[in-house]
Amino acid sequence: MQGLLPYVTRRLLWAPVLLFVVSLVTFALGRYGPGDPIAVLQAQRLDPEVAESIRHERGLDQPFVEQYLTYISNFLRGDLGESFSIYRGIPVQDIIFPRMWVSFQYSFLVLIITYAIGIPIGIFTALKQGTWLDPFVIGGFLFIASIPVLVVIPILQWLFALQLGWLPSGGWQINEIAGIEFGIFDKRIMLPVIALTLPGLGGVARLMRISTLEVLGEDFVRTARAKGLHEITVASRHVARNSLLPLVTIMGYELAGLMGGAIFTETLLGIPGVGQLAFQAITSNDYDIVMALVLLGASAFIVAMLVVDIAYTFVDPRVRYRPGELL
Amino acid sequence: MLKLIRNRLSTGFIAALMVIAVMLLAVSCGSSSEDPGSPDDSEPSSDVSSGDNVLRLPGGDPITLDPALASDAESASYIVEIFSGLVTLDRDLNVVPDVAQSVDVSDDGKTYTFKLRTNANFHDGSRRVTANDFKYSMERSLDRETQSTTAVLYLGDIVGAKEFANGRAEEVSGIKAIDPNTLEITIDAAKPYFLSKLTYPTAFVVDQNNVESNPRSWFRRPNGTGPFKLTEWRLGERIVLDAYERFYNGRPSVDRVVFNMALGSSLTAYENNELDLSGVGINDIERIRDEREPLNQQFVTQEQLDVWYIEFNSTKAPFDDPKVRQAFTHAIDKDKLVEVVLLDAVRKANGVLPPGMPGYNANLDGLEYDPNRAKQLLSESKYGSAQGLPPITMISSGGGASLGPSSEAILAMWEETLGVTVEVQQSEFATFLQQIQRGDFQMAEQGWIADYVDPEDFLDIKLHSQSTDNYGRYNNAEFDRLVEQARTEQNSEARMNLYRQAEQIVVNDAAWIPLYHSMDNALVKPYVKDYNVSPLVIPTLRYVSIER
Amino acid sequence: MAQAELLESAPEGRLASLGHHPLVQTLRRLSRRKVAMISLLVIVVIYLMGITAPWTAPYGFRETDLDNTFAGPTLEHPFGTDRLGRDMLSRVMWAAQTTVIISVLAIGSGTILLGVGLGLLSGYRGGWVDAVIMRVVDLISSMPSLLILILVTSTIRPRWEDMWRDFEQWSSIGGIRESGATDYMLVFGILALLGWGSMARFIRAQVLTLRQSEFVLAAQTQGASTWRIIWVHLLPNVSHLIVLVVTASLGAVAGTEIALAFLGIGVRLPHPSFGTMIFEYSGLRQFQAHPNVFFIPAAFVSALLVSFNLLGDALNDVLSPRRRNMSR
Repeated sequence: MQGLLPYVTRRLLWAPVLLFVVSLVTFALGRYGPGDPIAVLQAQRLDPEVAESIRHERGLDQPFVEQYLTYISNFLRGDLGESFSIYRGIPVQDIIFPRMWVSFQYSFLVLIITYAIGIPIGIFTALKQGTWLDPFVIGGFLFIASIPVLVVIPILQWLFALQLGWLPSGGWQINEIAGIEFGIFDKRIMLPVIALTLPGLGGVARLMRISTLEVLGEDFVRTARAKGLHEITVASRHVARNSLLPLVTIMGYELAGLMGGAIFTETLLGIPGVGQLAFQAITSNDYDIVMALVLLGASAFIVAMLVVDIAYTFVDPRVRYRPGELL
Repeated sequence: MLKLIRNRLSTGFIAALMVIAVMLLAVSCGSSSEDPGSPDDSEPSSDVSSGDNVLRLPGGDPITLDPALASDAESASYIVEIFSGLVTLDRDLNVVPDVAQSVDVSDDGKTYTFKLRTNANFHDGSRRVTANDFKYSMERSLDRETQSTTAVLYLGDIVGAKEFANGRAEEVSGIKAIDPNTLEITIDAAKPYFLSKLTYPTAFVVDQNNVESNPRSWFRRPNGTGPFKLTEWRLGERIVLDAYERFYNGRPSVDRVVFNMALGSSLTAYENNELDLSGVGINDIERIRDEREPLNQQFVTQEQLDVWYIEFNSTKAPFDDPKVRQAFTHAIDKDKLVEVVLLDAVRKANGVLPPGMPGYNANLDGLEYDPNRAKQLLSESKYGSAQGLPPITMISSGGGASLGPSSEAILAMWEETLGVTVEVQQSEFATFLQQIQRGDFQMAEQGWIADYVDPEDFLDIKLHSQSTDNYGRYNNAEFDRLVEQARTEQNSEARMNLYRQAEQIVVNDAAWIPLYHSMDNALVKPYVKDYNVSPLVIPTLRYVSIER
Repeated sequence: MAQAELLESAPEGRLASLGHHPLVQTLRRLSRRKVAMISLLVIVVIYLMGITAPWTAPYGFRETDLDNTFAGPTLEHPFGTDRLGRDMLSRVMWAAQTTVIISVLAIGSGTILLGVGLGLLSGYRGGWVDAVIMRVVDLISSMPSLLILILVTSTIRPRWEDMWRDFEQWSSIGGIRESGATDYMLVFGILALLGWGSMARFIRAQVLTLRQSEFVLAAQTQGASTWRIIWVHLLPNVSHLIVLVVTASLGAVAGTEIALAFLGIGVRLPHPSFGTMIFEYSGLRQFQAHPNVFFIPAAFVSALLVSFNLLGDALNDVLSPRRRNMSR
């Protein structure tokens, strides 16, 4: 508790350095890599003279350092630049913020559903420890979580859209509620949400189960049990409150990734979110869009990391290696 | 203890809340900054696809809706519905007057006089289209500051256009607004294909006030003259076009067209009655073609004016030797490729020009599959044998994992027939374009789609030795002479003959391996009448009606 | 299982020290779990299929037969054939080989070495060493890894290719690039650079608790060097965790390959991989018409991933100290 303030200050000072390195690396990768947004823009109608004039206008003929400084100073003033090749001439903020809203909505929904289902399952299996139900349920969810999403999505589409005809095969439909446009109040979103929820359930349930078991082993719970309190009461009073901590910590990290969107799900199911855009922008060398996405993503992550780290100084970290964090 | 726990909990929640707050902030900034660019916020309701008289189509985002800048088919397909020009193509691909009422060509074939109709108005109702608007629009296209890559190609035949584009003239002397209703265009030589070039968006009319209101992204609220007005363009989500009530050729029959870009599978959406039209991909074509399949009744197919081919770089080993190029061509069994691998969803190409293109030669003598001849040619080449060849790499564009079955089959055929292992280098479109534009390749897989209905668009532009689009640097003096002669040949029949001769030379020289011409395979709902699956980007939506 | 039984049946005294080694304890406990053993069996079988593919696969992976496309299962082609008439069984075996190659490359690429080494160092030394290493970890984790991965591969790959092309010509060793090895080196090199951070964090957290333990304190008072303490006292005590980390990484690698194939930055065609095979035939109706071409590779790779995860889970359970106490 005492060391907290200097710690936070150090971390806050560190954040701009992180962002600087991330932005420089990304910027350099874009500018020095092969491929050229102007070539993409002109496609098969190449005109070297026009290409040159576009390069000049967009500052691509400036020295690298100058380009970078211009970009950063614009960025800090809230100007994220302009699309080069996907949406010629349209400001980047007009392109990415609506997309972030899209990705945020469904990711948030997925997050809530994952925890809403995963937590009770975890507690349930912990209470059923020693019976066949415990390994069966946890193993089952783990099994589902292991199947690649690229395999799961076509199967879900085939089952729900083609065979049963219950759900549309994907897509994004907007409904206006209280002046805000939502896409998650339409049955189109169900398939993507199912596809994204399934892999996460196992992890949450497993974590919850272990936390619960740990609390159940502690003396005061044993005493409560011995006193003859009903198991449900025990669970709700002590177990839930104590074991939610690690979940909340992990949730912090997950929230940071919310706007990142899911490239595969968005592409296969036609959701106009950030993931789809990011992939498109990278393959079309649309520098400014890529930069903005990388920088905003990194910022969100840094904020979340800071907050979670502060939480860590209070909470005994529940160390558990989580495989496949990269993808 | 209890207090501590509460502290811990609240810290965790604050973490979560802070992140949410940051994101909501970002989102709200986004929606407020979005306003100036997006079209009418008031009009679109959240349920744009409801109503009986709405046509629902699958779509993709255009790169731009500025007619002067568009050079891709996706952009053009929206532009031709929102804007219009002096002339257009009808459904049989004939050039017909559009905003112009009539066209007079002088006897020397150089001066075109357009009489404009008096009932052509801009969508906002502010004023009617005059000859000056056309002069402004074409000069704007040609102006270097507009940065159009298509203007010189399509309008460069006009007297003074190139001087203007290079900044050496104040105006294009060949474009004269005689009076509000009369426009006179003079071109440098009698070129029979000139009118068809004017059907391309770069020659369309735009509203000066509209453009100058926001020079960088005015096209997000375009004020056009075409049969439809843009009501909504949500990037990556949908485009909504509404019928323009006062369109000079009569109001379109449908009230609204919704292009949906956020779809999983368009065919499934079609089967779920969420779309009125869907393309049919190669994975579905066998099922749809089956006559027992109910959807078979709704299947339409149309040959496209395009060609898909492998381009050799004639300046790079080993394809600097025509015999090697011929050997590689003879080694491909195109019939089998089209029938087995591509399931007859395309049409085999013998030459460069697609069927339906004037000058198409049904009797062209193509280089057929002939394994023995292929081996013989390779041994006669200066490399002597498969072992004598340098390593060969074919470049191909594509972001996905799949090379496409046809490419894999072709590689296998070369290996089987010639014993040559060709490596494929697949890169993102951006890198691929850079490579072909620099001539940095040995072989490249490509396609070419017609811009206008004239063989000049294929043979002259893609293969003339001086053309910038001739990436493979094919160079044949006799071929050059023939296509140059065809540029100004007035007699249509004689001109087509020149192109036929030229095409045969290219085929014999094996500058390319023409593989196939694609087909537009689609499903259209029975209540959608007169939907025209067109081989080219032409205005089609105004003919459509919905009769349930 | 056999090994563990052997250990248990051995005389108590002689193996007492070895039997208390955390790694041995872990493996022994693991061997009692049926699920873990079945998973291990599945993994071994698929890996063996891949390793022996050059000799045992009935057909070459690019042997096409356009007269026999999309064939159902027959005696000649037990899993049928694909769009170009290639034998699915052979392609699955070659795809398994791809998985083996990338797994070896991923392990060898230094993810684990770097992650474990720096984790140990950071956790034990603390102070500025810890601070520097952890800030670098922060840096790496704050990069949106997928974006960076796509970006790096799409920008660096052509130059990387050129480099190897030059090397092949200079050394006249052919086929390096054609085997796809260069692609994998690049992709997994980047994955390694982006991925060691979480591993280092994990190991560090373990070391932090070990640092206060009696044997480390004892070694310190005897004046042992940092390296000696790490090597002799800490490493053996986290070796069981390294097994866990390796297991998890191998599973993640196999899964990552599929994702990479989708993004078009994986293996070079026509060399088959599970990712490309699944992706090519994942069209909604593809498996309605020809279920074998999609489901067979999908089933194999899913079995592999499920096995890795179940094995990892079992390991995790076995390693969790409190969990152990409770199951007693």
